[in-house]
Amino acid sequence: MLGALGLVFALPWLFLIVIPFIQMSNAEPIPYTEADGVEGSTAYPDKALQRYGASDYGRQIYAAEGCAYCHTQMIRPTYAGPDMWRPGWGGREKEGLARATHPGDYATEKVALLGYQRIGQDLSNVGHRIKSRELMHQHLADPKGLDPNSGMPAYKHLYKKSSVREGYVPTGKAEALVDYLMSLKKDQQIPGAIASGS
Amino acid sequence: MTFEQPTPEEMSERAAIDRSARFPVLFFFTSAAAWLLVATLLGFFSSLKLCVPGLWDNCQFMGYGRLFPAHMNALVYGWAMQAGLGVVLWLMARLSRNKIEHPVALIVAGALWNAGVTFAVITVWFGYGNSLLLLDFPAWVWPILAISYALIVVWILPMFRSRGDSLIYISEMFVLGAVIWFPWIFVTANLLINKGTAPVMAAGVNAWFITNLSYFWMAPIALAIAYYIVPKISGRAVFSYPLAQVSFWLLAALAGWTGFARFMGGPFPAWMSAVSGAAAIFILLAILITVVNLLMTLKGATKIWEFSPSLRFTVFGMLMLAVYALLSAMSSTFLFGKNLQFSHFVVGLDTLAFYGFFSMTVFGAIYFIVPRITGSEWPSGKRIRTHFWFSVYGIITLVICMLVGGIAQGGSLAQWDQTFSTSFVTSSAYVAGRCIAWALISFSNLMFLYQLALMFIGKGRKSAGPTLIHVEPGKVESAKAAAGLN
Repeated sequence: MLGALGLVFALPWLFLIVIPFIQMSNAEPIPYTEADGVEGSTAYPDKALQRYGASDYGRQIYAAEGCAYCHTQMIRPTYAGPDMWRPGWGGREKEGLARATHPGDYATEKVALLGYQRIGQDLSNVGHRIKSRELMHQHLADPKGLDPNSGMPAYKHLYKKSSVREGYVPTGKAEALVDYLMSLKKDQQIPGAIASGS
Repeated sequence: MTFEQPTPEEMSERAAIDRSARFPVLFFFTSAAAWLLVATLLGFFSSLKLCVPGLWDNCQFMGYGRLFPAHMNALVYGWAMQAGLGVVLWLMARLSRNKIEHPVALIVAGALWNAGVTFAVITVWFGYGNSLLLLDFPAWVWPILAISYALIVVWILPMFRSRGDSLIYISEMFVLGAVIWFPWIFVTANLLINKGTAPVMAAGVNAWFITNLSYFWMAPIALAIAYYIVPKISGRAVFSYPLAQVSFWLLAALAGWTGFARFMGGPFPAWMSAVSGAAAIFILLAILITVVNLLMTLKGATKIWEFSPSLRFTVFGMLMLAVYALLSAMSSTFLFGKNLQFSHFVVGLDTLAFYGFFSMTVFGAIYFIVPRITGSEWPSGKRIRTHFWFSVYGIITLVICMLVGGIAQGGSLAQWDQTFSTSFVTSSAYVAGRCIAWALISFSNLMFLYQLALMFIGKGRKSAGPTLIHVEPGKVESAKAAAGLN
């Protein structure tokens, strides 16, 4: 009885969880070919291009404040939803390079914060959408000041002062969080080898 | 087919087992109920914060991103796991006809578990979480939970091995499954996530853990209870033992494949969400078989549910399990899933598992077990009825609001030319409904906790007859007699 209970569960445990985990842990970067026409980088993912400011601290603030309970970081292909058609969601859309997210986009993170719900906007490429740090601070300190219909709460505890009159004086945590958010650009070009499935 | 009446020797054996279970089982039930109250209040405040985002802006402890995971941790590890362990201990003792030999060791291990839960809730609430639902505590917390769990179940497995009957009861199979599968998924998920070498798989493992928790802890324990309570109270044998076995093995073989359908179109190989979706659809078969089997057992005796608190909660729990399996299968199809994923529907579905079917069935078990281990009856049938109806109103409000709200939100998100905030505005009325639902559930649980506390301190009603709904306390010897079916 105990053996049978173990065996039926061992199959999905092994084939759905353990083996894919090992395979993804050992995944090597895919080199670009000449046909890809990419300059400044030799392979995807290029960890040097995925940086969150000075450290991982901003990502930890993002996780600790529970941002991922309302914000996703996962752009779906068009067959699953119109994510890429929303302005700024798909990355480098002006260059015609908007795309869905791939596993390599999260290579420098300990855990991919794909999200639980999408009550707020997807943040995979928020670094492209919000152009300046000041605007990002305003989004965090007074979101309704930018969009009266916004459902986002103000994160005033991350600011020493936060009002239109007095301006926004961020704490170190707010600066780290903004570092992380500004770095969110899951837009590195995908090699043709992945795109064609070979 | 009806049961034979137990002999006096069997009655005294059962009483001795109940006496041995008294302190550890009551410890788990009362601490679980206290956590349930904490969880429902956190659920109410997190929903209120979502409904009125500007509320408590200056207070870091009242952000949705901290209240919601703290609420879920309290609900699952504080309430569901502990209440489940209490039920498992008593059920295994009764079914295997073994006394509980080490009550003090169980209480000490239970206290350690409570310490682990307190850390899990407080750390997330104080801003040390990692945004992975139900696994979002710091890495040092999960070993406390794992060790205390091991120290508890280490006394359960020997009871099964030295059981009095050679026949394995269907409830024993479900209990055994839950006891073995939970640590497996819990340890696997925590080890892999904290290893941190495959970031995308860590997110997938989190989704796998959440659905497996529903199918490998919540569902088996609810089914173990149902397969025990329904025959006991109706006085009939289970309609079909082979059907029950089929549903058990179907669930066992399929549940481990679920989870990845939450990330349709996500950065995973496509086969993973496809396999997960297919598994959830086939599980529907296992659950429907079970619910039909139980309803057939009750056929012609459904009137008992008007009077018996245990049967009423258990049957409602089973119906909610069928609804859960149906909604879970529906949202695992690409047709519905692509719009429902990431919407309010997901919260509704998870809450339906953790509160809707699991908790209602466990309440049924607690109403059955506590009078037996304390030797006294529940003080008031009226308060049990209030507990039942307010829970039902709360669950139905929550499920409908989150389902319809999820469809509204998902539909709005699928229209790329609408501004994003439209999706928030179109679903905001349903979020207000979620808030009302948690207020109703909080009130119902206050009733439950009050009654349980009275039983705990020995203020239960001393009477030969059970406390039933719609019957003056102690007037009738059983719910079956009250229904005129003796």
